[in-house]
Amino acid sequence: MNEMSWPPQVPPGPPPMPVPPPMPVAFSGSRSEFFDLVKRGAVLEFVTLGFYRFWLLTDIRRHLWSNTLIDGDAAEYTGRGKELLIGFLVALAILVPIYLGYFLIGLEAERYQAFASIPLVVFFYLFGQFAIYRARRYRLTRTVWRGVRFWMTGSGWVYALQASLWGLAMIFTLGLILPWRAAALERYKMRHSHFGDLQGRFEGKGWEFFKRGWWLWLLTPIALFFSPILPFVYAGYKAIEWRWWLSGIRFGDVRLESSLPKSALIGLYWKVIGWSALIGLVFLIYLGLCALLVASMSDDGLSEFFTTPDAMRSIPLLILMGLGYLVMALAMNVVSRVYLTRDLWVTVLGSVNITGLEAAANVAARGDLANALGEGFADGLDVGGF
Amino acid sequence: MEGDAPEIPQTTPVNSAIYFDGVSSRRRAVTLLFSDKLEIADHEQTLAAWDYAEIRRADSPSGMLRLGCPSASALARIEVRDVALATELISRCTRLDENTPGRRGVAVIVGWSVAAAVSIVCVVLFGLPLIADRLAPLVPDAFERRLGEVADGQVKKMFDGKVCDNAAGQRAFVKLVTAIRESAGLDTSVQSGVLSSSIPNAFALPGGRIYLFNGLLAKADNADEIAGVLAHELGHLKHRDSLRGLIRDGSTSFLIGLLFGDITGSSALIFGSRTLVTSSHSREAENNADGFAIDVMHRLGRPAKPTGELLLRVTGKEGKGLSIISSHPLSEDRLARMSREDRSASKPPLLTPEEWRSLKSICDNKI
Repeated sequence: MNEMSWPPQVPPGPPPMPVPPPMPVAFSGSRSEFFDLVKRGAVLEFVTLGFYRFWLLTDIRRHLWSNTLIDGDAAEYTGRGKELLIGFLVALAILVPIYLGYFLIGLEAERYQAFASIPLVVFFYLFGQFAIYRARRYRLTRTVWRGVRFWMTGSGWVYALQASLWGLAMIFTLGLILPWRAAALERYKMRHSHFGDLQGRFEGKGWEFFKRGWWLWLLTPIALFFSPILPFVYAGYKAIEWRWWLSGIRFGDVRLESSLPKSALIGLYWKVIGWSALIGLVFLIYLGLCALLVASMSDDGLSEFFTTPDAMRSIPLLILMGLGYLVMALAMNVVSRVYLTRDLWVTVLGSVNITGLEAAANVAARGDLANALGEGFADGLDVGGF
Repeated sequence: MEGDAPEIPQTTPVNSAIYFDGVSSRRRAVTLLFSDKLEIADHEQTLAAWDYAEIRRADSPSGMLRLGCPSASALARIEVRDVALATELISRCTRLDENTPGRRGVAVIVGWSVAAAVSIVCVVLFGLPLIADRLAPLVPDAFERRLGEVADGQVKKMFDGKVCDNAAGQRAFVKLVTAIRESAGLDTSVQSGVLSSSIPNAFALPGGRIYLFNGLLAKADNADEIAGVLAHELGHLKHRDSLRGLIRDGSTSFLIGLLFGDITGSSALIFGSRTLVTSSHSREAENNADGFAIDVMHRLGRPAKPTGELLLRVTGKEGKGLSIISSHPLSEDRLARMSREDRSASKPPLLTPEEWRSLKSICDNKI
């Protein structure tokens, strides 16, 4: 209490030094360049039956990272597609015996009680959380700014255990505990993150997240029944989450602050929905035209062709449908990457202010690279996360 | 160009760049000097000298050339915004783009991916059936019975465990199954039963279990029709088709799942291609089971054609198109085959009219 003593011992002097203006964060990449990148990537992904995904993902990250300027200096992503491929192969080598073991254990469990093997899913949840942690570690150690790399310590399994216990609490509280779960997990991740010799930490509080987003929790059951409001709810949730997450990040004295409005992402989600609907419509028209074409080439009359089950068995029609489907899926991928990856990145980045960057002006480089095993698991188990 | 080099840099202040030494995040304004190496100088002090042949391009935002020298320091970077200087650097550093995958790199990726995809498809189409055939006999019976118990538990749950077994019907059913089983050369470990469901179907589970749905009994006109169906299912048991199918389809799903990965809409593709492959294997197994059923019926001295007629009655006419996505051969074709290889009855019916009526009403609760 002695700090509050009155009268103040320090004579009232000049007002304190004005806080230096927040450092700008900028994005310099052109939209058309990114569009070309994902367009080409989508085609290559289908030509290679999906194997190109490792290189496409890497190219997307390289583009986003190297065009993100913080305090005038651009970041750099030093990961490579080959590393992701190797991570995927290693994860595969580990996951295959586990899947087999899972199958055998499940078999034994089912003998005692039908469908008793379902709880084993819990094990895969644990594994998925491990993957999320290790994937983040890979991405962070491939991020370089001013010639110094970010790096990360901590244990993926400890994290997975924490995440699973919180996940259990999520079930019992019907998801109400989500903000505190997010805060606790992020504290663990950020405590083990470093930029050179600057240690990271997370100052976001679960309560702040809850205060901003509790009404979404109430809206979710309604949205599940009345789907047109679902994009609003989801986009609102994502915007709140991004803002809260970014505003809690600290590296030493470097502080991030985001002012992302709740409504910032709604437009993006609706654009994706609009484009998807349009692409779907084009696909339907294409299907109709194909059916007409095939029908007009068959011997039977048009009406006869459509009334017989032959319509569904005609091989040319099946091939045309398959090709059309491929092109549709390709287009959807491009749309989702342009809006939900690139535009979202730019929108979120535009809301960020950084203060205290002087602390990052002379940071000593430290830390080692982590392998891409986590990314491989995340790919194999189909989980994603920050 | 070599001759010009010493004069341009030392006099013009244009050769300024930003340098990060990779040891600290300090940003230094430096001057680049072109001698036999690229010298990075801060006023009078030379901070580093990079071999031109070792300099590589690093990712940069548009409007900037960023260079690194992996052999000197993994993360040290020079950033150049001046176009003239950038051009000069590019012309001197001959192996600038050696690490960036160009057209050739992409071609290598595409080539090997296609090779991997082709080999996966070949293994799925030709390798897995062979492996399953060789592996199935090696699986111990005890293990297969366990699989059967699991499947049995799930089937019973799905159909509320309603096994039909009123006394007279069960007697007739056991008589019919025993006659077919003995003729088929299977031992007494075979378990069988009638389940109460209106679906007209019958199936075999691994480990020697066959089930007949009441719905098929309701559609049948005589004992020969049902006998052929049971013989067909016993054929699956004899060939251990469920086990082979499990090995084959499980591995097929896994291998096809390796392709495509996280592409949006890939699940439909995976599902589609898996259906195509597994249904072609399944049609083959069905054909073999049909052949087995025809043999058994001949040995029993009964006609096989009625079974084909029952199948056609159940499915209806299936059309003339090629059904590559169907898991069973077309009913018309199956009837045609059974008629073609049919012989007229040479022995008395398997069940008396009285027993046949009991079997038909096996699900009526003890009237």
